[in-house]
Amino acid sequence: MFKSRIRGFLQVNGLRIMALLGALGVALPGMADLAAAKSLDDILKAREIRIGVNPTLPPRALFNDKNEIDGFEPDLAKALAEKLGVKLTLVAVGSPDRIPFVASDKVDLVMGAMSRTSERAKVIDFSAPIHSENYGIISLASKPFAKLSDLNNEAITLVQVRGTTAIPYIQKNIPKAKLLLLDNYNDRDRALAQGRADASFDGIDAVAYRLKIFPNVKFNIVPVPEWGVTYSSFGVAKGNYSLRDWVNIALYELHSTGVVEQLWEKWFLKPMDTKVPVTPYF
Amino acid sequence: MAYTLQFGQVTPYLGYLAGGAWLALQLAAIGFVVGWAIGLVCAAILHYGPWLPRKIVRAYVVFFLNTPLLVQIFFIYFALPDWGIVLSSFQAVVIGMSLNAGAYLTEIQRAGFNSIRREEIEAAETLGFSRLQSIRHVIVPHICKVLFPPLSNQYIILTMTTSIAAIFGVEELTGRTYNINAQTFRALEIFSIAALYYVALTLVASAALYSIGRYFFRIKGKVF
Repeated sequence: MFKSRIRGFLQVNGLRIMALLGALGVALPGMADLAAAKSLDDILKAREIRIGVNPTLPPRALFNDKNEIDGFEPDLAKALAEKLGVKLTLVAVGSPDRIPFVASDKVDLVMGAMSRTSERAKVIDFSAPIHSENYGIISLASKPFAKLSDLNNEAITLVQVRGTTAIPYIQKNIPKAKLLLLDNYNDRDRALAQGRADASFDGIDAVAYRLKIFPNVKFNIVPVPEWGVTYSSFGVAKGNYSLRDWVNIALYELHSTGVVEQLWEKWFLKPMDTKVPVTPYF
Repeated sequence: MAYTLQFGQVTPYLGYLAGGAWLALQLAAIGFVVGWAIGLVCAAILHYGPWLPRKIVRAYVVFFLNTPLLVQIFFIYFALPDWGIVLSSFQAVVIGMSLNAGAYLTEIQRAGFNSIRREEIEAAETLGFSRLQSIRHVIVPHICKVLFPPLSNQYIILTMTTSIAAIFGVEELTGRTYNINAQTFRALEIFSIAALYYVALTLVASAALYSIGRYFFRIKGKVF
């Protein structure tokens, strides 16, 4: 019964199905072509470079008073586009979709705190580092801590954001400290400022910028490089070496002339904790 | 979907989750009892009180019914410290839930008071009941019978609402579920188990409320 129905369907629609499959066969290679990344030449020809930034991560990138995308990454993207002599188009990307954006040629370069990891490097290529990413201890200035082992004490409460990477480490290595887990970094900051906890161990790059909304509270921020320092880079489509190699040379110039550090201090309100070693070899 | 459920990774945390369920039960029970007491007083004021207290109760009820519980607790937890009142996570959540439940329970109990008909009291007087006797044998049984189902519903709703506490650092069932999820990444498994815990919490409460209702107030209902 069922078989005969299918046979009947094919007899009536067979030609249409063949035509549809044929059309797909023509269209698919064409679509693959569309997704190919733009080489350096293509970008120079188009007189435009598209760079992805994540405006939900201030001060890396944010929407300013005029509702335009602004911040450290947009400023650096501007400097890069100037060097290339083309128009800059900033594209807002999010954390989960920023890699697909560059892999499918929606942007030429992607920023948005692109930490280099071996896992990500299977999918996209990375430029030389733009900046370091540092962890450290944030506490009130009246109660400073010098190192992680100082926190291992029953009288100490650490405030952390639920589900973040430092928590398993704290539970294992700072087991005596009490944990207060809150929902997001704004709540974490406020809890620290209100003295609900003694310290927090987390990323410290954006902390000076974040904490400026508490002008009456003095904070102490101590880097803990033993935790491990990671580096953020420009992400480019896999195999787009013409663009990546040019970005590396431009980035060398921007590092060695102090532009990167200068933009960093402008937006992050403190020097980069671990300097990126600038070498002429990449 | 090429995903295999792996409960083995999350079963070591069942005891940890049970601790969270116990905390959720405490939050719901305290919130309900305090809210019920607030509601009883406020409903009595609305029904029998003078003008000014009535207006104050109305303002309280309108404010708490028309703002989200999350915002109310946020205010208690993060804004009050600016006036020097620092409450612990548990205290802030319990106060927020009680005040919120109090507003809902005021409305519910006010409806209960309103449901008593003048004829019932007149009939009791005609039969020669004293004031105390008519309260004991006519008014209270009537109010209980009318109020029991909506009060039970409110308790079940409150049990679900306890999950908000996780946002303010109370390690109840949902908070602990998130913690395990962040460690094992077994979201489907651990959230399914958390759902079972919530079902257990509410089913046990439903069964208990059903028995109480049936035994004391002769209310017919269904647990399932």
